[in-house]
Amino acid sequence: MRWRIPVVPLARPALLAAGLAAAVFPPLSPAFGDALPCDVPEELMQVDDKLPHLAERLRAGQPVRIVAIGGASTTGLAAGSSDLAYPRRLQEILAQWYPSSSITVVNRGVPRQTAQQMLERFPTDVIPEDPVMVIWETGTTDAVRGVGVDDFAATVQTGIDELKAHGIDIMLIDMQFSHSTATVIDFERYLSALHRVGDVNDVNVFPRFEMMRYWSEQNMFNFDGVAKDERAGLAARVYECIAGKLADAIRVALR
Amino acid sequence: MPASSRDLRIDFFRGLALIFIFIDHIPENILSYFTIQAIGFFDAAEVFIFISGYTAALVYGQTLVSQGPLYATARILGRAWQLYVAHIFLFVIFVAEVSYTVTTFNNPMYNDEMRVGDFLEEPHIAIVKALLLEFQPTFLDILPLYILLLAIFPAVLLGLRWRPFIVLLPSLLLYLAVQATNVSVPAYPEGHVWYFNPLAWQFLFIAGAALGFNGGRRRRWSKPARAILPLAVVVVTVGFVIKLSWTIHGVWDPFPGFFLRELWPVNKNNLSPVRLIPFFAAVGVVAAVVPTDWGVLDSPAARPLVLCGQQSLEIFCLGILLSALGHFVLSEYDSAIGIQLLVNLAGILAMCLTARVLDWYKTMGRMPMPNSAVTRSGPSNRLGA
Repeated sequence: MRWRIPVVPLARPALLAAGLAAAVFPPLSPAFGDALPCDVPEELMQVDDKLPHLAERLRAGQPVRIVAIGGASTTGLAAGSSDLAYPRRLQEILAQWYPSSSITVVNRGVPRQTAQQMLERFPTDVIPEDPVMVIWETGTTDAVRGVGVDDFAATVQTGIDELKAHGIDIMLIDMQFSHSTATVIDFERYLSALHRVGDVNDVNVFPRFEMMRYWSEQNMFNFDGVAKDERAGLAARVYECIAGKLADAIRVALR
Repeated sequence: MPASSRDLRIDFFRGLALIFIFIDHIPENILSYFTIQAIGFFDAAEVFIFISGYTAALVYGQTLVSQGPLYATARILGRAWQLYVAHIFLFVIFVAEVSYTVTTFNNPMYNDEMRVGDFLEEPHIAIVKALLLEFQPTFLDILPLYILLLAIFPAVLLGLRWRPFIVLLPSLLLYLAVQATNVSVPAYPEGHVWYFNPLAWQFLFIAGAALGFNGGRRRRWSKPARAILPLAVVVVTVGFVIKLSWTIHGVWDPFPGFFLRELWPVNKNNLSPVRLIPFFAAVGVVAAVVPTDWGVLDSPAARPLVLCGQQSLEIFCLGILLSALGHFVLSEYDSAIGIQLLVNLAGILAMCLTARVLDWYKTMGRMPMPNSAVTRSGPSNRLGA
């Protein structure tokens, strides 16, 4: 399975328990950035589906090209520079881990696009890059604008079919968690839909929403009351954590 | 309409649907695992729209017969106006909630993507679009459908009185055309569509109306209905097993979701036949299994639900507000399961109590005043009203 979101009401006591466990027994292999408080409960790091094409390239020591397509949080401008966005950070981590392949993560983030608009960019922004893997971060704008949730699911399905037809490995990333807008934007239906699309297609969905919620609840990051001059720094730290966890997930999927 | 002559099943199930709508509209609500959508391909929206069509035909059909088409039309449009006012009221509350969130919210990590308040930048357009029912923020989408359906209802009613199939056939054809072409009704902002596609959902409302029109005709339907009852039972059972497997699969992954790859996602906007057919089957089964004079319906335990169903407009609006409030409480303070249950309980209690008060208020209003009181307090009363 993927990391489960739809079960949040049932999963949360388990999350708490896992949080406690993590506090008592520190994780065995803090994969990246020991100084960063990026830890998440173990069930958020469950990875079931493989990345066969990426694995093959890395085994052969061939160059690897990954395209990250998504919205504003892929662009990463909130951190001040796209060098601090998660795709660039991910590239640096993977390059460290797999030095025999030259690894490039191309950032194709465009703020405020629906899944449909991103899908329309595939022929120009994604396929010509000839990637071996695509990381698709989507759903936020669809939820904000209230795009029909069935249409959203169907769009992501079309995108997955297209990427698979090109022999490209896929990792989906769900939305950012934001406490302040939680009451006016209903992410739950879109989260469920995205995770279910991943489920039926055997594609991993990276549970960014639950991770950020966990960080927010554990007060690792204060997303709301952040002072003006600290905002970019906060964004950079969060993107760094996301990149680290994403790299961990990719490594697990490569095993 | 006096309670004694009503088919209490209608009120009961509409009341239940309203409670389910309240529960389902609170995101990440544990109780939503126990509403219809967890075990059936359809959800409370189908129940609500179908029963609304049924009741409308029942009530305004009588008006049509006894007081003529002109008055029946006036009554229906009066009701549509009530719904319209209620919708605008809910919209104003939504705007207040969003404006508040937007002005107190400032974090560059989200600013670029979570711009839920964009419409506030062009209020002159957004408000006009809301008045035209074209702007339908999440969860403010079912009343516009209901309003539109009532607006065309006088013509539907006249057609039903003349020849039911004259209405049913075009309605069905329109529904099928939507399934074939995916045509939708545009909404605001640009690129949006009506969440409940009226071109598809009208069929459910009109089918309900055809069944509800002129209670006596129902007998004519009962014989063929009984013949296909076994089939309906099969459809309901298969739908139940499949959907339940999806729900369990969602909670516990190793459990397989039957036909998940083939059937999901089931389109709600256009009321996919995968939703509609099990719903009709369920209506048939419930109508056959639950007798009109089922004792439970008259019991004190069912009374709150029946009252909610009878005061459906007010309770629907209240439910929408309460689920927004419940969502706020859960995301702002704590969403532990105990709190979730408490929020649900408080909301359901508020809905039932409000229905009780409304019932009392309306019953008092209908009571004839004693003659002496009329003569003494009549004029001043009129001034006060």
